[in-house]
Amino acid sequence: MRWRFLLRRLAMLAGTLLVASFVIFGSLYVAPGSPLAALSGGRALPPGSLHVLELRYHLNAPFLAQYWYWLDGALHGNLGISITLRENVSTLIASRVWTTAGLVLYASVIIALIGIGLGIVSGLRPGKVDTSSLVATALTAAVPSFVAAIVLILLFAVRLRWFPALGNGSGLLSDVQHLTLPAIALALSSLAIVARVTRTAIREEADREHVQTAVSRGIPARQLVRRHILRNAAIPITTITGITVASLIAVAAVVETAFSLNGLGSYLVQAAQTKDLAVVQGISLVLVTAFVVVNLVVDVLYALLDPRVAAGVRAR
Amino acid sequence: MTVKHHRLRRAALALPLGIALLAAGCGRSAGPASAGGTAAGNVSPTAGLVLTTPAGTKQVPSVTWAVYRDVETLDPMSAFDYPENTAISLMCESLLLQAPDGALRPGLATVANPSPTQMVFTLKPGVTFWNGQPVTPADVVYSLDRQMNPANGGFYGQVFSDVRSIQATGTSQVTITLTKPDYWLEGELASMPGIILSKSYTQQQGKNYGTPAGGIMCTGPYELKSFAAGAGVTAVVNPHYWNTAVKPLVQQIVIKGVPDITSFTSGMLTGAIQGSYFFGASTLDQLEHSSAVHVYQGPGQSTDALVVSAASGPLANVKVRQALSLALNRQGIISSVYKGAALMPRWLANPGTFGYGTSVFNAAYDRSPVMSQNLAQAKKLVQQAGVAGQTITLGTSSQLSSISAETGAYQAAAQAIGLKVALKSVSADNYINFFESAQARKGIDGFITVNYGDYADPAALLSTIVMPGASQNYDNYNNPQITALLEQARGTAGADARAALVAKAEQLAAQQLPWIPDAQPTNVLFLSSNLTGAVASFSYMFAPWADQLGGKS
Repeated sequence: MRWRFLLRRLAMLAGTLLVASFVIFGSLYVAPGSPLAALSGGRALPPGSLHVLELRYHLNAPFLAQYWYWLDGALHGNLGISITLRENVSTLIASRVWTTAGLVLYASVIIALIGIGLGIVSGLRPGKVDTSSLVATALTAAVPSFVAAIVLILLFAVRLRWFPALGNGSGLLSDVQHLTLPAIALALSSLAIVARVTRTAIREEADREHVQTAVSRGIPARQLVRRHILRNAAIPITTITGITVASLIAVAAVVETAFSLNGLGSYLVQAAQTKDLAVVQGISLVLVTAFVVVNLVVDVLYALLDPRVAAGVRAR
Repeated sequence: MTVKHHRLRRAALALPLGIALLAAGCGRSAGPASAGGTAAGNVSPTAGLVLTTPAGTKQVPSVTWAVYRDVETLDPMSAFDYPENTAISLMCESLLLQAPDGALRPGLATVANPSPTQMVFTLKPGVTFWNGQPVTPADVVYSLDRQMNPANGGFYGQVFSDVRSIQATGTSQVTITLTKPDYWLEGELASMPGIILSKSYTQQQGKNYGTPAGGIMCTGPYELKSFAAGAGVTAVVNPHYWNTAVKPLVQQIVIKGVPDITSFTSGMLTGAIQGSYFFGASTLDQLEHSSAVHVYQGPGQSTDALVVSAASGPLANVKVRQALSLALNRQGIISSVYKGAALMPRWLANPGTFGYGTSVFNAAYDRSPVMSQNLAQAKKLVQQAGVAGQTITLGTSSQLSSISAETGAYQAAAQAIGLKVALKSVSADNYINFFESAQARKGIDGFITVNYGDYADPAALLSTIVMPGASQNYDNYNNPQITALLEQARGTAGADARAALVAKAEQLAAQQLPWIPDAQPTNVLFLSSNLTGAVASFSYMFAPWADQLGGKS
């Protein structure tokens, strides 16, 4: 049962990747501009030189043939060569993937700890705590990550000098230091959403009959919260956290650019601008895979959290 | 015939796209631009600008240098833009050398002209590559051939259009034979086309040469330590540098792409970035006010201009171009787009390009009027031309703040003299197509560019604009007088005589306005306040700029 579920998801992943690669390839092909602009640096090259470049990168081949060149290579583990950097796409991705992974992971931890924590506290403690958390989350939810990035840099890097303003670190400790501000900028608005959904879910569960019954039976508050409220609220919380984390993968590009991090997202934007097809394809596939995997993890979590949910069947 | 290569200004594309909240400055216009049109007598047009900064005195272990995007290649054959040129000129050397004032000096070799169609290069004794191997005539012939051969897909092939042959003619001698005298080639050989590579290393690397996988082998004071995609280019001092007079103080220079103006600014303020020649930084006044950063302005070689691409319609009429030029508020452009770091134009050429015959150029430049605003005169010209109420179409990109600001200035100017303006806005990425494709230019009468030649000579840019068939001659412009002057200059040996011809061509171009100059940007150098010694002029693009860079004591 579990195996069939996993196999089905893997097949879905392969199908998604194939369709995504075709759509991305097609849209870049149709988009105006030509990689020749990047290759020639905009200089007027003699026809001979242009011809050499076109041949080298199959620029004159028909669309389907170009796509086939790429797909054939990809199936053999060769994602192609970057036109601008003339290096293997897999090498280029490998050198950046950990920055993005680290950033998204760091932000996810912040979201999970602070967002869910805040939601639980304000859900259980109506009053001042709840109100101030509501105001705070209303504010942060409205701040897009590129604005957060600028404010954070101005405050914590330029004024207070607690954290570096840009770039990647070298070594674990320095990496964490360099990624702290970007992770906060990335997490901030999603954190607010997660906190709010958590708060609502907790409220809803706390008002339900079985909880009221448990209260009247005098079950200790701790047990009540853990077994009767949290457990039942876990499914919507997991859903929103999963969706938010998956969306972070896409939003990371903005934060990476603002902090000059060598991540996949900022590189994807750069590559799309120069029509570096192989790179755009390669990175997109990595991102699509990550997205699908995050969703898979969420599905598995459902089954773990609620035994009534069989793997592969969406809860409620 | 004289099809000169051109340079598209990706620089224009590089201008800050981000939200520059940090830039919320006071809009103070600083620098020499405020001098306006008052200069009289023998004041150099670039007076007040510095060529170099005082030499450093202290060793520095490592410096991070920002460029507007990551370096893509270290192959001089494919280098055309700020990041690549900054990295290559740090590590590689050309046959001749462009000094900070733009003058040509011997580089790896000295040059002699036994006849007008012969250039004989004699390699300096003891010149070696980083690996210790001597530079031989075979390396020189190979490097130049590689640039010249269209099969390699290099950018500079047409620079060699007048070359008949390049041959080794002695143990340290290479002779270039020309089909007709070409005194522009020397300038090119003091730039990217003249960079000398190791033949054996380059052949061994093949297509990988200059890529992160292949590396490079040059002769300069810094050698390549690593070139990782994304992590930037790391250069370290070459311990075996052949020129023992040069002793670099900075042990390591990391050239890093910082595309975002806010991260560039905060990087400079916090010391994460210690230097840069960042072009068109909208946060200039903020950085000028910081005690952590020292901002220098040196002579520039680029020109900010409106490309006239209309072969018909109002802009094809010289009177309309003159009227538009007279109506344009250039001071506004200089203070809003350049934050003061630009000069008011008199010619199409930036006066920073006067690399030879300087006194001839200066005197002629001084006699030419500053292109200041005169609406009454402009309106008169439009009436004479009888084009009031007609429409001109300008290409622009609302995503490029500087481009759209300047297009807005043209819109205001045109409306003030009774012309209508239609805008065709494209995405930032597609702005390049105005330069690339005739189809994209269809129906477009003009668009903004920042453009420069390969070396310090006003003719280097002008010839690409006005010569029949030249690469940036989009409107089939043909003024026989200007063409003849430039052709004659190209074949004239004497520097002053050549300068006089080019100056005449520039003066004509300033009246005829094949393009309409908007501003002459200065070269802006940002240095951490504890560093000094970098070259401040635009020649950093073509020659070593960090030989004297070091700490202050």
